[in-house]
Amino acid sequence: MRSAAATARGATRRVPPDLLRLAPALLVTTLLFGGALLGALKQSVEPPLGGGPSTWSLASWRAVFADPTFLDALWFSIRLAVISSLAAALIALVLATLLRSRGPALKTTFSLPVTVPHLIVAVLAVAWLAPGGIAERALGSLPIGVVHAQSGLGIVLVYVYKETPFLVLLLLSVMGRTLRRREEASAVLGASPSQVLRWVVWPAVRRPLAVGSMIVGAFVLGAFEVPLVLGPNYPPTLATYAYQATQTSPLSGQGKAAASLLVAAAAAIALGLAALALARTEDG
Amino acid sequence: MVERRLPRTVGTVAVLLFAAPLAVLVVQAFAEVWRYPALLPQRWGLRGFEVAFEGDQALQATLDSFEVALISTAAAILLAWPAARALARGPARLRTAAIVFLALPLLVPPLATGTGLAEWFIRLGLADTRVGVALAHLTVVLPYVLLVLIPGFNPRLRELEEMAASLGMGPVRRLVSVTLPGIRAVLAAAALLGFLVSWSQYGSSLAVGGGLPMLPLTLLPFVGSDPNVAAALSLLFLAPAVLALLLASRAAREAL
Amino acid sequence: MEARSAPLGGLGCRGLVAAPGGSPVLRGVDLDVPAGTRTVLVGPSGAGKTTLLRAICGLQAIEAGSIELGGRRIDRLPAYRRRCAVVFQEPRLLPHLDVGENVAFALRAAGARRAERRARARALLTEVGLDGFERRAADRLSGGEQQRVSLARALCAEPDILLLDEPISAVDANRREELRELIARLQGERGLTTLFVTHDRAEAAQMGERVALMLEGRIVQEDEPAALFQRPASPVVARFFGSANVLRGQVRDGRMSLGGVEVPVPGPDGEACVTIRPERVRLDPAGPLELRVGEAAYTGTWVRLRLRGEGLGLEAMVPPSQAPAAGELVGVALPLEEIWRIPDFEAVPEEGRRAGVRPRGGS
Repeated sequence: MRSAAATARGATRRVPPDLLRLAPALLVTTLLFGGALLGALKQSVEPPLGGGPSTWSLASWRAVFADPTFLDALWFSIRLAVISSLAAALIALVLATLLRSRGPALKTTFSLPVTVPHLIVAVLAVAWLAPGGIAERALGSLPIGVVHAQSGLGIVLVYVYKETPFLVLLLLSVMGRTLRRREEASAVLGASPSQVLRWVVWPAVRRPLAVGSMIVGAFVLGAFEVPLVLGPNYPPTLATYAYQATQTSPLSGQGKAAASLLVAAAAAIALGLAALALARTEDG
Repeated sequence: MVERRLPRTVGTVAVLLFAAPLAVLVVQAFAEVWRYPALLPQRWGLRGFEVAFEGDQALQATLDSFEVALISTAAAILLAWPAARALARGPARLRTAAIVFLALPLLVPPLATGTGLAEWFIRLGLADTRVGVALAHLTVVLPYVLLVLIPGFNPRLRELEEMAASLGMGPVRRLVSVTLPGIRAVLAAAALLGFLVSWSQYGSSLAVGGGLPMLPLTLLPFVGSDPNVAAALSLLFLAPAVLALLLASRAAREAL
Repeated sequence: MEARSAPLGGLGCRGLVAAPGGSPVLRGVDLDVPAGTRTVLVGPSGAGKTTLLRAICGLQAIEAGSIELGGRRIDRLPAYRRRCAVVFQEPRLLPHLDVGENVAFALRAAGARRAERRARARALLTEVGLDGFERRAADRLSGGEQQRVSLARALCAEPDILLLDEPISAVDANRREELRELIARLQGERGLTTLFVTHDRAEAAQMGERVALMLEGRIVQEDEPAALFQRPASPVVARFFGSANVLRGQVRDGRMSLGGVEVPVPGPDGEACVTIRPERVRLDPAGPLELRVGEAAYTGTWVRLRLRGEGLGLEAMVPPSQAPAAGELVGVALPLEEIWRIPDFEAVPEEGRRAGVRPRGGS
């Protein structure tokens, strides 16, 4: 009797408590994040002033996609995202290979930029690399423009400095003892170091590397304060484009800003989901 | 041999990556006059800090940033604690789906989240308030805290809790004497990361709280106009990260 | 099977010293594995068995000594040129390759074509009892199946020596015997020079044509299995191989007193140490010793008795049908021909404890 009651209680307790535990976080995320996306969507379809009785309009979306500045911003943001994530991935791969057999102290040291805010990194980049900065004082002149460079090199540098450690940590997490053991097993079977690299190490790291790079790309797509500090005057990134839109015309700019931010958000989410899909095929 | 060489390597890397870049910030913060092309300032002084804290806008911004970071981190931990416990086990499919959904806000530009939230916060009277900004930050602080916390509730901790329960320990005693000690390090890391994420937020702070500027909003205009003041404020802005660094290095040394 | 490796010479290690992580683990190891034979390296955990195996195959650098295999010096070669194949404790299969490609990995490294790899893998999988497994995902197999794949993979390399590092220990207890037989059969058919590492003395006795006992970084005795059990070179060896009966005393006029019974002991007079296997101690009401049963423990096949009395502590293994109860007084006979005088009893006086061997019953 008692044991039956206990089992029954155990059975009813099994699934719901976990759902109950998840509920507050799910609810808050739905409210805040879902609310944010809805709010932005609402702003983007708000009818223009004096636009008649309709409750919504695609005017802002049309205006944005007809605006060459927006298209330049979109292209610029995508280019920055691709270059930053590729550069970070490449450097992270080299660093992780060098660091994997070293102690935890060195690994921790390399992962420290994670704690420094983007804005500070941007300030540092200005102090060092801007015209009249330390580098120019020490070397006389800089071979290439970084801060405010048309190419966006400054933005790329900041994101590479900030996000490479994240990728290194990701890579080191799959380059642990298990991988080392597989490498040993392959070596004693006659696989040369380059074969081990191609057939054992690369297959183990390629997916986390791709997934991490996509996440970095998503971050760069939303770049805002970094281009504000050291981006070029033109083109803007998607976020600075939105900011400029609200600054130049507080009323009609709101809809365009929301539309361009939604484009950035959609691109970032698409990248994130693609990364997830890639990570999933690895499990299967 | 390797062991003896290692600390030096660590030191070199730390200097190259942090100390050297940051040293410039310190120099610039105390450089009243630093004309090109001199490598060192012509005159040292506290002007940067004096200008930065003229009026009490910067001081207020610092206190606001601190309060907002504390509120959003505390709220995130309260929400993430039970969720992490649930997500540390259970069917893999549901788990992945929940984690993906909860982590989605990380990917979206903070300015987008903030702009969307502002639409509602203005009506609710939350715009330009500390609670409003903290809520906007919570959108990203929560997933970060959650992702750090999940591995903390590993099977080993659960086995210890089961052991404690089997010895007749009640839920509260179990929390205090088994769960909290077991998860202390992870919890500290989560709290630290949550605080830093909120402290560093720019886009969402601007969109929701442009009228109640947080520290980074106060700092940015000076970067182009007055590097001396910008450096002084940057040092203040960097303080929690440096603290985190010191704590992390102490933890790393203990781990060795 | 012309391709089968026909070893010209076996393995010869001389004075190997290695210190992984800075502390000395191998302290001068000499070991020979004659071509085509199977030697078992046995010892408690921490003795350095795995380190020795890793030194042989090139995964652990050595600080001194030499290794010869198949008539050539290999200690300066990188691991992938040594022609040693290893079956590790864990299967270590590559998860992104199917079973067949895992088996044929060595062929792939040598540049063989896909068709050849497939054919060879299929044949080897059949030999290890995994017929038709070549397209399966490596990580979907059971532990025992994975270990068979790992064995097939090692055989596929046609190595000069096959090294096995406790290959059975991660396998389900009921499957171990099968796997042991499989390894012994495949090794015998190919005439592969083989070094098999284990910490289990019974497995050592079963698997080894020769057995080498390693303690604290040295080979302390190397012989046929039966010799290690019956004629241990030192008290530590005796204890490792399961004999708690290490008895000390004085030999006078070629005789030694054991609990008041004079037994003949070969060799010179003086302090001596003798041993007798517990399973050779005979319960015999007419026996000269009368001892009390301190403890009787059923071990599954035997009953282990701890016997005490007359200044003597003895351990005996008897069939359950003959087992007395604890507390009883029993007559005990020690067959004289089973008493072995340990030649080297001063060398390592109390290391038995540190080596993880049960301390002796009494002395």
